[in-house]
Amino acid sequence: MNTVPARPPLVRGEDRLIAGVCSGLARHLGLRVDAVRWVMAAASILGGAGLVFYAWLWIMVPTAAEAAKRAARRPASAIAPAVSAVPDPGPPARQRAVPRYAREILLGLVLLLGAFVLGGSLVGVDVPVDTVVPIAAILGGVALAWMQLDEARRERLVRGAGTERWTGWLRLGAGLALVVAGVTLAVSGSQWNLLGTALLASFAVLAGVALVLLPWGLTFWREYGAERAARVREEERAEIAAHLHDSVLQTLALIQRRAGSEADVTRLARAQERELREWLYRDSRASGGSFEDRLTALAAEVEGAVGAPIDVVLVGEARDGENGGRERRDAYEALLQASREAMLNAARHGGGGPVSVYAESRGGTVEVFVRDRGPGFDLDDVPADRLGVRESIIGRMRRHGGEAAIASGPGGTEVRLRLPGTEET
Amino acid sequence: MTTHEHAAAAPSGAAGPVTVVIVDDHTIFRSGLKADLDERVAVVGEAGTVEDAVAVIDSARPQVVLLDVHLPGGLGGGGREVLTRSAALLGQVRFLALSVSDAAEDVVSVIRAGARGYVTKTASGPEITDAVLRVAGGDAVFSPRLAGFVLDAFGTAAVADVADDELDRLSARELDVMRLIARGYTYREAAKELFISVKTVETHVSAVLRKLQLTNRHELSRWAADRKIW
Repeated sequence: MNTVPARPPLVRGEDRLIAGVCSGLARHLGLRVDAVRWVMAAASILGGAGLVFYAWLWIMVPTAAEAAKRAARRPASAIAPAVSAVPDPGPPARQRAVPRYAREILLGLVLLLGAFVLGGSLVGVDVPVDTVVPIAAILGGVALAWMQLDEARRERLVRGAGTERWTGWLRLGAGLALVVAGVTLAVSGSQWNLLGTALLASFAVLAGVALVLLPWGLTFWREYGAERAARVREEERAEIAAHLHDSVLQTLALIQRRAGSEADVTRLARAQERELREWLYRDSRASGGSFEDRLTALAAEVEGAVGAPIDVVLVGEARDGENGGRERRDAYEALLQASREAMLNAARHGGGGPVSVYAESRGGTVEVFVRDRGPGFDLDDVPADRLGVRESIIGRMRRHGGEAAIASGPGGTEVRLRLPGTEET
Repeated sequence: MTTHEHAAAAPSGAAGPVTVVIVDDHTIFRSGLKADLDERVAVVGEAGTVEDAVAVIDSARPQVVLLDVHLPGGLGGGGREVLTRSAALLGQVRFLALSVSDAAEDVVSVIRAGARGYVTKTASGPEITDAVLRVAGGDAVFSPRLAGFVLDAFGTAAVADVADDELDRLSARELDVMRLIARGYTYREAAKELFISVKTVETHVSAVLRKLQLTNRHELSRWAADRKIW
């Protein structure tokens, strides 16, 4: 359905007599609605072509609201427009392919059936039109009803019928077949010659009922959907409100009380920022026990304890932190503890300035760099009985097969920790 | 977040302060930032929405625009929309993205739309001033976190210095520079560490920025898709 650019998209309009097909068509083609309606009516009277065309458009063309909803359902993309400036055939065109095909397949099946019946009667084969047509009509009706449901609802219906297993499908199919047969029999009875009249009469009744009930049903359906969406939104809002109350408002109250102490205010603001950020932008990285998560948590802990801001940049993911062998797990633990020690030192002696932490995992090897901008120190000047650097950083890393180096100068100190990968990674 | 030494290179050949337009929807933040910037920059305009920003930038033609990533108005595209609508000016006006968020999608989208760098709003006045001067001088401004994104997106495996104009990978030297920036080194410190000049570091960073803006690299899309960016 490639529309010519600069033309409004072909959607069924809001100002409708029956289904809004004519008004939508008129808008799309730039014609007057009355003219389109008259042409359609004339074509319906003269041989019924208009009716078929109308029905076809009714099936194939979405309403304006549906089209908008579909467009909105595409993933919100922050970058796509920037990227599409680069000549890049993006995927969005592909997204709606599946439901579209369902309709086309249905239409094709109907046409095929019609051709089969017509062709059969032409050649002289006795096609039981009287039976085929009602069955086809009923099946078509079921399929139409099915397509009106959205994905989630379809899924729920299918699940409700117990159709995950093939027996469920069998049951559903058999039931449907029985219903179809029963309705056909009831309509036709034993007097086949009356079939035409009976069919027409029941069709008229059914169509009448449908025409009366359809708008009401549709309105009800829409209201139900809108109400559900509103409830979901309300719940989300309540969750956000609860979170803001528990965290942000408390912090703001604390800040007001401690407005005199700049260090306290900064620390509170940093901690709150970190927490809120974590809550808002929950990263897709596995949360909880991964090496990166624990390093971030340690940084937050040190920051909270000492007060100097710590910025953590993570690259790659350490893969075997949890499911490696025991030795490997211990090594990761040692690396984390050494990092913590380094961060503590940097936060304490780094002159209160920001501490930069950078962790990179590549092919099983993990490196952590902790840098501060303090006055620096000379490792040889550190008394031998001070355990901090020598034992808890360098010694700890060595014992677990890693390395630690410390570069210190007037511009600051950097602790470099490296844990080489094991052979199997 | 001290990426940039306070004695940043002044814009070459420019006399007087660097002209700046501040685009941010929070009046308090705008006035605070204005007070924090020192005399090396002159604020010549402010805007709080996408439409205002496009108009002000077009009429004031500043050297640098400090652009908030999240902005109301327009089609809802925020800072990225300002960039795409001012695309014709990208030659003369340079954009430095400002954000409270260091979420990858915010950063990468404005960079790919043409911003020359990115700093977080928590950076101090002198830091932002330095970043403005650096951008005005034609260089790119990478925060440690942006360098981290780049390393994550392009991969950290060292590659041989193949064809320099290849967009899909970083040269070994560019990786070195990105790593040092991610570790919190200033350009000057990175230069010293690698025994190269500051100018060379700036060249490498600009090259990485160009690659980040132009590449259609498979890994970058996959990385972004993993994080549901596009």
